[in-house]
Amino acid sequence: MQKTTATQAFCQAVRAMPVRLQHEALALGEEEQGRVEELRLRTGWPMTALLPEGERALGGAPVERRELEQLLEIASQASIHTVLDQVRRGYLTIQGGHRIGLCGTASMEKGQIHTLRSLSSASIRIARQKKGVCTPVLDGLCPEGRLADTLILSPPGQGKTTLLRDLIRAVSWGEGCRPQRVSLADERGEVAALFRGVPQLEVGPRTDVVEGCPKAQGLMLLLRAMNPQVLAVDEITAPEDVAALEMAAGCGVTLLATAHGAGRDDLERRPVYRALMEKRLFHFCVQIERSGETRSYHIEELR
Amino acid sequence: MIRLMGAVLLAAGCGYLGVQAAENLRRRSRSLSEMARALALVEGELELGSPPLGQLLERVAGRCSGPAKALLEACAQGLDRLDQEDFSALWRRKVAQLEELGEEGRAALAPLGDILGRYDGQAQREGTQVVRRTLEMLARRWEEERRRQGRVYQVLGLSGGAFLAILLL
Repeated sequence: MQKTTATQAFCQAVRAMPVRLQHEALALGEEEQGRVEELRLRTGWPMTALLPEGERALGGAPVERRELEQLLEIASQASIHTVLDQVRRGYLTIQGGHRIGLCGTASMEKGQIHTLRSLSSASIRIARQKKGVCTPVLDGLCPEGRLADTLILSPPGQGKTTLLRDLIRAVSWGEGCRPQRVSLADERGEVAALFRGVPQLEVGPRTDVVEGCPKAQGLMLLLRAMNPQVLAVDEITAPEDVAALEMAAGCGVTLLATAHGAGRDDLERRPVYRALMEKRLFHFCVQIERSGETRSYHIEELR
Repeated sequence: MIRLMGAVLLAAGCGYLGVQAAENLRRRSRSLSEMARALALVEGELELGSPPLGQLLERVAGRCSGPAKALLEACAQGLDRLDQEDFSALWRRKVAQLEELGEEGRAALAPLGDILGRYDGQAQREGTQVVRRTLEMLARRWEEERRRQGRVYQVLGLSGGAFLAILLL
């Protein structure tokens, strides 16, 4: 039987672990492998798998600290110096876009985390791209066959980033609209998940990604360097982000962004977003509502 | 006639052993120098931009020769099996196979596997520099040894062979 894409993603993520833990994870049935969201490794405890119904111990021998160090070595291809910035942030992205979250004793320098000494636990979050989630909103967001300025809005965990990624992919390919050059400021690497310069999650053939720098700086860099038609950014959080978007809008670039918020009223109550709404940078606002495994999208016209 | 041929062969054999002993000294000194030069290239790469370890090892292996090339290539290939053997163990295992470096050379080089890829660029560079200097010092010592002892071994081999030949004739 051919393995499903979800199972392939699981197997790929598992390869970042030492052999003993790989065998333990791969002992799960294929159906379960496809449903595992995260694998959790805590020193002194057996490895657990996070499934939609909850966290379950896999019943093997307790994870050793040495195995966590080996995990980091495998994930960085024995090049910890190249992922130190990511380690300082507490996670690193590996091939396939899977994310390894790390915990341990922080070593501080000038009030900032310099590195994590002595790792205590790790979580491997398995990346699974959902292609086609933007199909229900695409027609509404492209009134003249071209994407209009769009803000995606929802509370955390509802699927903003997933919808953003799929919209970028669709616009970049020209699915249901005119193909356009998209530039993406992906500060935390959650949208494209670059690994050695290659997006691990599909964002389309006309997409340029800058990762790892503050959003406002990334947006300005993309605007100067890549001549984008669409400028995309995940999670507007600071006044600088709004200022950068305002500048981009003045250059005739289409904006595509996400923000945390329960609704338009919620946005207008918060100073950062109030400014955003007053400047009328966005044409459409997409609100996501989640009920169990299904999501519904509501498009509101802002101007 | 046969006795004469036997005597010539004996003399030549002993001479060869002497030359070989001198050659071993030269080879060790050269291997240590090559390894030190490879580590200087590693330092340069780390200074330029601290590339991922696999890239660094491959780049430097492409620019050096002898045991240094073999070691760096084998370690770069071994990075595909990190889930089975960590880099430090891989490095030590491959260094232990480098007979040409001698015991002291291997002992100096082995700890570098605990440093490469494990620290920031500067710490790796400093660690590599310490090992390179030790290897350069050993290479100088063996070169000195070769100059001092090399000719002695050659002469001893040849004259020992001649002495045996005369004795047996």
